[in-house]
Amino acid sequence: MSDALLVMVHGSPRPVANEDMFRVVEQFRRRPDAAARFPIVEVGFMECNEPSIPEAIDRCVGGGAATVTAVPYFLHTGTHVCDDLPTLLEEARERHPHVTFRMGDYLGLSPKLTSLLAARADEAVLSQTS
Amino acid sequence: MQEKKTKRALILFSHGSLLCGSGEALEAHAARLREQGEFDLVSVGYLNYTEPRFSEAAAQVIAGGASEIVVVPYFLVPGFFVTKSLPEAVDLARARFPGVRFIVSPPLGDDARLADALLDAALNARGPEHWRDPIGRAALACRPSPDCPLYGTPACPKVPEAPLV
Repeated sequence: MSDALLVMVHGSPRPVANEDMFRVVEQFRRRPDAAARFPIVEVGFMECNEPSIPEAIDRCVGGGAATVTAVPYFLHTGTHVCDDLPTLLEEARERHPHVTFRMGDYLGLSPKLTSLLAARADEAVLSQTS
Repeated sequence: MQEKKTKRALILFSHGSLLCGSGEALEAHAARLREQGEFDLVSVGYLNYTEPRFSEAAAQVIAGGASEIVVVPYFLVPGFFVTKSLPEAVDLARARFPGVRFIVSPPLGDDARLADALLDAALNARGPEHWRDPIGRAALACRPSPDCPLYGTPACPKVPEAPLV
């Protein structure tokens, strides 16, 4: 039995909008510390794209996950993060009573993103002066 | 005339929300960047709903002495708001403040720090009793706005009852 990471993504009518997110998830999968802790990694979409979040949860469980840790790939809180995503996880708990579900903070809360914002600012200044 | 050092401002550009407290994460980034002190001025500028709007944020940092403004979109991908709305807002600001240099960066996109953030969030994940916490935290940072869906409801910390009209 192993732990799964479920990345909960909004979804977009333009699938190209998900490419950066898939690259980030690929980086996660390739990190030895992340892969050791979360051998299963699935992406689930709230709307527009597939798999849906319930489908992605079923894949985690089908892959042998005893614990599913869900993280909202969102920059802001709002009704999706506070209500819609918890509701989907609560429904999943009823469908899979033997599985432990946990939910992490939405991505935007991380101070790592503060560093990334600063880096984007520095890169932009450098590209103007070079 | 005395030579003055360029005062550089950073504006984090975001969409804004009807949910008036939803800017909690972005305001926290701005506060940390202010603390780090790399930029003389750090502000948040919104496109819709939330104050201050981008043009107002630009006017404020310029009034504070900024002659160079770096704009970083707080967006994951270069969608419509980043590729259309933001350049339009920046062009308007450039026309209004011709002496000020605006530099616009790409959005967050793809970066190892996003994978780091994903891992941190996963390692600190919590059980069902905490899944709906963010709404309470977001509300702590809010301003009373009749446009917010929580305004006039018990969940609103500022105006918990519908005001008499």
